[in-house]
Amino acid sequence: MTALGLKPDGAQARPLLRDLASIALIALAGASGYWLFPDNLSFLTRVISVALLVLSLDLVVGYCGIASLGQAALYGAGAYAAGIACLNGVTEPFLLILIGAAAGAVTGLMMGAVMLRAHGLPQLVLSIAIVQLLHEAANKLAWLTGGSDGLSGMLPAPLFGLFEFDLWGRAAYLFGLGLLIVTFALLRLLVRSPFGMVCRGLKEDPLRVSALGISAFPVLIRMFAISGAVAGMGGALGAIATQVVGLDSVSFELSANALVMLVLGGLGQLTGALIGTVVFMSIEHVIAAINPFHWMTLVGAILVAIVLFAPRGLSGTLDELARLLRREGRP
Amino acid sequence: MTLPSPPFLWPSMQTALSIALDALAYGMALFIICIGLSLTMGLMRVVNLAHGAFAMIGGYIASYAARDLALGYAFAITLAVLGTVLIAIPLERLLFRRIYDRSELSQVLMTIGITFCVIGITNYVFGPTLKTIPLPAELARPVDLGFRSIAGHRLFVIASGLVVAGGLWFLIERTGFGIRLRAAVENAPMARALGVRTELIYAASFALAIGLAAFGGVAGAEFLPIEPYYALRYMVTFLVVVSVGGAGSIGGALAACLLLGSIDITARYLMPEFGNFFFYLAVILVVCLFPRGLMGRAKA
Amino acid sequence: MISRRRFGTFLRAGALAFAGSLSFAHAAAADTIKLGIVGPFSGPFALQGKNFQAGVEAWLTQNGKSVGGHEIEIVYRDLPTANPQQARALAQELIVKDKVQYLGGVYFTPDAMAITPLLKQGNVPLVIFNAATSAIMTSSPLVVRTSFTTAQTTTPLGKAAADRGITKFVSAVTDYGPGVDAEGAFKKAVEAAGGQVVETIRMPLNTTEFSPIMQRIRDAGAQGVFAFLPSGPPTLGFVKAFSDTGLKPAGVKLFATGDLTQESDLPALGEAAAGMITGFHYAISHDSEVNRAFVAAGEKAIGGPGQLTFPAVGAYDGMYVIAKMIAATGGKQDAEKAVEAVKGLAWESPRGPVKIDPETRHITQTIYLREVAKDAKGNWINKEIQSFPGQKDPGLAK
Repeated sequence: MTALGLKPDGAQARPLLRDLASIALIALAGASGYWLFPDNLSFLTRVISVALLVLSLDLVVGYCGIASLGQAALYGAGAYAAGIACLNGVTEPFLLILIGAAAGAVTGLMMGAVMLRAHGLPQLVLSIAIVQLLHEAANKLAWLTGGSDGLSGMLPAPLFGLFEFDLWGRAAYLFGLGLLIVTFALLRLLVRSPFGMVCRGLKEDPLRVSALGISAFPVLIRMFAISGAVAGMGGALGAIATQVVGLDSVSFELSANALVMLVLGGLGQLTGALIGTVVFMSIEHVIAAINPFHWMTLVGAILVAIVLFAPRGLSGTLDELARLLRREGRP
Repeated sequence: MTLPSPPFLWPSMQTALSIALDALAYGMALFIICIGLSLTMGLMRVVNLAHGAFAMIGGYIASYAARDLALGYAFAITLAVLGTVLIAIPLERLLFRRIYDRSELSQVLMTIGITFCVIGITNYVFGPTLKTIPLPAELARPVDLGFRSIAGHRLFVIASGLVVAGGLWFLIERTGFGIRLRAAVENAPMARALGVRTELIYAASFALAIGLAAFGGVAGAEFLPIEPYYALRYMVTFLVVVSVGGAGSIGGALAACLLLGSIDITARYLMPEFGNFFFYLAVILVVCLFPRGLMGRAKA
Repeated sequence: MISRRRFGTFLRAGALAFAGSLSFAHAAAADTIKLGIVGPFSGPFALQGKNFQAGVEAWLTQNGKSVGGHEIEIVYRDLPTANPQQARALAQELIVKDKVQYLGGVYFTPDAMAITPLLKQGNVPLVIFNAATSAIMTSSPLVVRTSFTTAQTTTPLGKAAADRGITKFVSAVTDYGPGVDAEGAFKKAVEAAGGQVVETIRMPLNTTEFSPIMQRIRDAGAQGVFAFLPSGPPTLGFVKAFSDTGLKPAGVKLFATGDLTQESDLPALGEAAAGMITGFHYAISHDSEVNRAFVAAGEKAIGGPGQLTFPAVGAYDGMYVIAKMIAATGGKQDAEKAVEAVKGLAWESPRGPVKIDPETRHITQTIYLREVAKDAKGNWINKEIQSFPGQKDPGLAK
């Protein structure tokens, strides 16, 4: 595919099919998660919440080429906004998700406005500084956020007035899964839209795009706002499902983890973000449960191996494998 | 009755001097640790987030030598620098060499991976407790400067920082090695064509950077105590300082360390409850005003 | 930083637990009571998690692995840093999938707050081994706590400090929940005893360079300093700076909670900490038969001396409470009855006489005033010099 998304003839129909197929796959995987692991739904809900964060990061890193180690600023903004709203009587889950999305989008706008002033490494440093500042702020404003003790005591209303967010976590999981599928579908449309193509173009050849008379800042800042909304929804989902918001949701640690998961899965494909999140968090969960001594060493080794042997991430490697197989299958 | 604590305390002249001295010592400790990273990032174009891990390894070796084997401080430092470089050489050959011309993101990921491994292994081998490096009596003793007393060790750190800065400047700007290094950085194929063995130059400057990290880890241990999470705990600080200074510039790194060090220290004196705010606000401000760093080498 | 720091160093103990669970599986599959223990077994707080495990193992070694004919099986789950989402997921899995009858452990307050809403539905009591914010106890009636609160250890310290004739104090605490609690409790206690806190300093988390703070203390003209910092690298920096910048030589007295002088940090602090006065609920060097037996078992479980510290005693006493719960319910899962049974429970712990307060379900205990000093063998210890028996949590007192 060329920079501006000009595709060879006959390729137009295929992406749409691929999109539908991947959405069906997500729904299938989600449903089988529900049936196969009925006792792990809280964990699976957490995976979905983080998956939204990683998706949002893919929009910025994978599609616009802006490296960020501060994406949790947007996730945390959504989580705290939803949590605070819930404590103040707004308990309808759908409304809380919207509040989270709005808070994330606003924070995304501000973050973008600062980060777009630099490029490369200084930009990365800006993202770190922003998430650290917000972390400090959340700690200082203990009257509002609960500070280091966490914001707790929120009781979201039952989903559709019927299904409680309870110990078994079925409502939370299905709610999250629905949210993820809808978001994913919308994002697919977004990245295929002219707007998405311009972003991709800015990443790959900014000079050429500006020669077309498009200025980068308004495009990129819009993407920041969208990315913020997606991350904010993830945060709000976490707040609803856990009923506690901690300082960890606006941390450098979470941001860095999200980046690791994204690169593990593969940049700029949306599906890579999902694969990376599920694989990383599952490995972590399983290994943690059998009590290893050296989980961290293992993750380190995995990271090194990926950079050396699978530079395009898991999904990129899968694609390549598929292409090889196809080629071999041909006479 | 309790007096409300003044939110903002204007220091007297003497206090200001005293704070400036602390800031100088802290900034110099940062400088010794970070300058190696600045060289790798600016000259070799590798974002080596594992830099702190090497500083930590240096600290562990020195602690082991000085505390468990009861060797002298100077000997412990030498051992730490040599030992860390020795550990780093196979890593350079096997891992770092493959990411010299890869994207920044790949470099970030691989070096984070290496950091994780180092932390995991360190925790397993040395345990999770803090390690100290015993100082010799002449450095442990407070020195009376008239207006205050200061730990002798801090004066040692200040002096070391100056020596490192001067030595590096001389090495890079005034020696044959420096010329070849700069040539390799500016245009590697051309340098190779002219008979410069760039691989060797890279390996040597990598070793130099690691050695400085190890020295910084030991000298700065009184400021940043040695424990397994050292490598991650201060990773952001190191990265921020180098970027603010402008990667590859000795003067820039020195300026950034002194600027951020004094903002950090002064803010902690004036308004400790907002200490971190000032640090990161300053970072944002400097990066926005000087997107290439205080004295960054402009990329061609 | 990047969160997954789970290389829990517990190969040996983990293998032990694993082997144990295997043998129970066929020995008494019909009547095995599972305990889920959540703690930071890896990551920067791994030492504290290790101490949870050492406390639990010490209790099992001394009392056997069954209570009233019911086998006990421990399921450890690692939660390296404060992460309520992960805490909830782990607790849910322990309750729903592993079918534990009791939950124990929990190092951080937000994690406890994420677990308490699950207890009633899961019919599971939670025995907290550490998490020290007063408010946790009011979030569910099924919580019992065997650790301490910052206010509980600080209040007697404040009184003792003021009683030493020092009138001018500066308080310097880390700027987060427990620090703010400690500052409040100390100030209240000092003022009640006629002293004065002339300045309160809140220090940023993660700071390791404290000379500007010391300068501020000096400028305030304090005779005594109260400090609270979370255990780890910052405490070393603080205590060293206090001594290096000349405050200690000038005769300023340093008071702190026992977090600053946990036994595993004492060798690193060394001479700089000598003479420091701390208030805490437990010292490894506490002089009693029960404690000597506990320390011997605990050090064996943790793999040698030098790493055993206060969370171990919270875990050990937590196991005592859980065993009493199992006995009282005849092994049947009944959280309310279990908690009811231990209200008012009193026993001799390694830290001294303790009691579960029937009103608050928090532990009532003796708080000791200790001084950092060398013992007969030349090791640094927290030497108990005064005791304040029967201390409840002032944060929960109505």
